[in-house]
Parts: sequence; structure tokens; C-alpha cells
Amino acid sequence: MIVLIGVSLLIFAIARVIPGDPARIALGPNATAEAVVALRDKLHLNDSFLAQYGYFIADLLRGDLGLSLYTNRPVMADIAQFLPATLELVIVSGIMMVAMGLPLGILSARHRGGWIDHTVRLVTLLGVSAPAFVWAVVLMLVFSYFIRIFPIAGRISDSFSIQTVTGFLLIDTLIAGDFRAFGNTVWHIILPAFALALSGIGQAARLVRSNMVETYDKPFIEMAQAYGFPEKRIARRYAFRPSLIPSLTIIGLDFAAMLGSAFLVEAVYAWPGLSRYGVAVILRKDLNAIVGTVLVISAMFLIVNLIVDLLVSIINPRIRLSQRAS
Amino acid sequence: MSAPTLKIDDLKLSFKTWSGTAQVLHGISLHIKKGERVALVGESGSGKSVTARIVLGMLQQLKSARIAGSVEFEGVNLETLKPASRHALRGTRMSMIFQDPTSSLNPVYPIFAQFKEVLERAQPGITNEKAREKAISALADVAINEPDRVLDSYAFQLSGGMNQRVMIAMALANNPALLLADEPGTALDVTVQAQTLKLMSELVKKHHTSVLFISHNLGVVREFADRVYVIYKGNIVEQGPTERLFDDPKHPYTRALLSAVPRITGGGIPDLDDDPGRFTAPLVAHEGYSERELLA
Repeated sequence: MIVLIGVSLLIFAIARVIPGDPARIALGPNATAEAVVALRDKLHLNDSFLAQYGYFIADLLRGDLGLSLYTNRPVMADIAQFLPATLELVIVSGIMMVAMGLPLGILSARHRGGWIDHTVRLVTLLGVSAPAFVWAVVLMLVFSYFIRIFPIAGRISDSFSIQTVTGFLLIDTLIAGDFRAFGNTVWHIILPAFALALSGIGQAARLVRSNMVETYDKPFIEMAQAYGFPEKRIARRYAFRPSLIPSLTIIGLDFAAMLGSAFLVEAVYAWPGLSRYGVAVILRKDLNAIVGTVLVISAMFLIVNLIVDLLVSIINPRIRLSQRAS
Repeated sequence: MSAPTLKIDDLKLSFKTWSGTAQVLHGISLHIKKGERVALVGESGSGKSVTARIVLGMLQQLKSARIAGSVEFEGVNLETLKPASRHALRGTRMSMIFQDPTSSLNPVYPIFAQFKEVLERAQPGITNEKAREKAISALADVAINEPDRVLDSYAFQLSGGMNQRVMIAMALANNPALLLADEPGTALDVTVQAQTLKLMSELVKKHHTSVLFISHNLGVVREFADRVYVIYKGNIVEQGPTERLFDDPKHPYTRALLSAVPRITGGGIPDLDDDPGRFTAPLVAHEGYSERELLA
């Protein structure tokens, strides 16, 4: 909560020191000077910074982020429209990251020093060494242009019209009972989500590997081997589980960071999400929309971190038990 | 006469490194008869612990290890066994106790989960109730009063002495023929160590378990072992019955080792023999206690 107030204050200040007059940009070059002054008055732009922030907070408490000067609609409505597309992309990416990163890391650690390990480490190094938007372009070129397996852009083909319920197309198509449309959405989301997930997959795999390799040197692993427990079981219960605790925190941070990388991936794939909206409003110096977007993304970031902290305290008996005791 | 529980003959071990081969064991021979408690004594790096790991077959999987010589377990040469049947001996017919009990237990599962895994080695598919019953009786053997509380605890919640008892209970739960005790309890307080070793001693006597007791603690060895092998830099330098070896050490290294122990009566830390060249003198066996005579 305190973090959110800080973020709002900071972004509020930054948005106001960007050069350019929002009223002038909104009204266009042909507007009269009187109209510009009137709009500036209406937006409280002539008041002191603190007064402006006061108006903003008062509105925010009523659930009102103000009007967007770009779309001329309430910012809340815009965010509600664009956020689900971004969340859908990021969540699918996050699932890919965990579902592919962890097994790769475990595989690598179990065969440490062998060729499987070397291959995995090389591939994951490639994954982390290029940013998501580079992968977005590369994957698009290879799999949508040279080999036309995946659609080049968008969330769903234009031929489908799906009623919006949750805004998550993967869910809405299922609610509509249209499995062809569902398949189509899955088809559309694979490339952008994978591009966004790649560096996370690489990082998760490398992290899990290094933590597991370290755990493999612990006495309780030797004890498990001395008692002849099966290798697979040792890998899962003795090497992976203890090393999941330090790994999970970082993976959570990576997941939250995807919200940021999503900006550029959305731009490449013409993905109608919040990030594209964010870029558009920053260029238009649409104050209310900028502050609203950043606030929502920070709130997401905090929520993800909270969930990760909870998960860590569940899987780490030391934390779990100390909480029960106190 | 039945075959000894463990018979090691001319065991050699070397590690291949970038800068050449490092010879760790230069051909050691020792044996343990059924129910016998034998100590392997030496300083750090003398090759005590690797010997135990070779018996379990844990060093063989290291690519850099070169092993020669034979290890016979209850009359069967372990090298002739298929890897799976050799692996099947671990935790069932032979088990091991480690130096630091607390860090040798998995930190993210309660004691019972690991106890059950140990019991599963001998009885695959054992039910939770049955495993719990067995674990409780095994813990009772090592004088643990609240077995239920201990089983539901994590290793980090228990004291070192308690964990050591748990380790002993686990090690003996499947009634193994051979117990390898690698410096058990060296990480513990002396009083706790004495208590737990006494428990272990009584239990192995009761079950006629053969024990290879690896230690550098001579006081403990004297109380615990029937026979002693002294190892120095990968060679057995002296062997004999415990009493006689302690009262009348024959090899220069054994003498140095015995005099190196600080006395509780004071007098400072004793001076060590300043001629380690003599420590590599050949093996001295006490009368009637050479490998040839004992195995005849």
C-alpha cells in the first residue's frame, strides 16, 4: 500500500515534468488559445503540484482515474478493456516459464557435467542473452513468414466474433462454446507468449540448475545415496525441493518483470493490450492515462510478489513453523 | 566357518586429476567378522572415509576414481554383482551413519517421511501405519521418549543428539549385516556423543551387527571397538586387538597418534614425533592378529 502511494506520487511527478502541454496536444494544432486555457483550467493544470495530486487522490478513492485525453473515455474503462489481453499474454508466458524452465533445470542438474547439461546450458544462455522483443521479431520471421505455421499478429482471426465476458479470449471462447475459436486464440498466443517467456525460461532453468547442483553437495544427499534411494526420488525430493525455495523468489520477480517486457512484444505482434495503450498515451502525454496505466502495472507487480512470498512461506517449513509459533 | 561380513583385499584407489594421478589408498586389507566391531583409525585425509564409500559403491560412479582390489560382502565379491543387485544392498544389508546428523537429514521433509523411505528400501510399498509402527519401535530402541513428536518434526527443530539417535535408529531399522559409522557424532558435544555411542554399542551387540567404525577419536575407539586398524596415508600401518594396541603400540605412527591426544590431567599439548619419515614404516600386526592368521 505504501509502495503504491510512492509509485503514484513518483509517476505523477514524472508525468508532469515531461515537456509539452497536454491540453495543446489533446486539442490539436488548430485549437484556439481560449480553448486551450479552458481545458487547462478544467484539468487543474494551473494549480500547484500538491493540489493536483490532491485532486487525483480524491478521484482515485472514488475509483475514478479521470478522462483519457486520447480516447476521450474514462481511463478505468480503457484499462478494463486492455488489461485482460496483457494479463492473458503474461500468464500464458508465466506458465510456459515454469512448465519448461523448471524441468530443463532439473534435467540439467541431474546430468551435470554431461552433454545434456551442456546443451541445456547453451540453449538457455541463448534464451537469456537476447531481450524479449528480439525473440519476438526472430520468432515471427521464422515461424510466421518463412515457415507459415503461426499467424503473424493479433489475438484472434477477424472471422470470429466472440462476445466479451471476461476479456480473456481463451476463457471467453470457451464460455461461448466455440472450440474452433478457442483453437484459433491458442494459435495466436503461442508465438508472442513464447517470445516473452524465453528469457524467463532460460533464467528459471539456469537458476534451478545452479541451486540444485549446490544442493547435490549437501550431506543429506549423500545420506540418501548411501541408503540407496532411487536417483529420481533423490532428484525430486532431496535436490529439487530444497533448492526450489531460493529459486521461487527470483522466478516470481521474473514473472512480474514480464509485465514490462510485454510492452515491446505487444508492439511487435499488434497485441491489443495495456502495454500498447501505455505507449500510445505516453506519446500523447495523456497524463491521467499514464498515471493510471503505471499504477495498475505496479499493483500487478506487487500482487505477484505477494503471491510468491506466500508460496515461499508455504513450501519452506522453517518459515511456516516460525509463523505458527509466534 | 562362515565368510566374514566384510573382507577388503588389497584395495587401491586413485583419482585422476588434470595434473596426474593422486594415489589415495595403496592397497589396504581388512575384514570384519559377523558381530565384530572394528575401528579404522587415522588422521584426516588418510583414506578412512573413502574406504566406507567404496564398500557402499558410491565412489565407483565417479569418473575420475580408479579402483582396484576386491571387496567381499558375506562371501560375495561385490565387483561381480550387477549394478542393480549391488545397489539393492544399500540401506538394506549395509547402512551408514554420518558425521553431522542434523545436516544429513532432509530439511524440507519431516523425520517420518525419511524414515519411511528407509523402511521402503527393505519393504517396498509399506503402508504409512506399518511404517509408523516400525519407526516408533526403532526410536524406542534409541531411548526416544516422544516418538510421535520426533517423527512429525523437522531435523532443524531437534537437537543434534536427538538427530543422531534418529540416524542410528534409521541405520538399524532394516537390521543390516554391516553398519558403516563414519566419524559418528564428531559434530556433537562430547557428552552427547558418549551417550549416543553407548546406545549404538548396545544395539549392535543385541542385533549382532558388524560395524566398521571410522574415527580419529581414540578415546571413543578404545571404548567401542574389538579390533583396530590404524591407517596412515592410504596404508594400514598397524593392526591388533584394541587393548593390546593401546597399551603397547608398536608402529611409530600409532605411538605418535596416541601421544598426540591432549591429557585431561594437563601438561600441555604433547610434542609430536618430529620425524614423519618413520610413519611410513611397513605394517605391524600384533601377534595372532595379521590378516592371514585371522582369516585362516
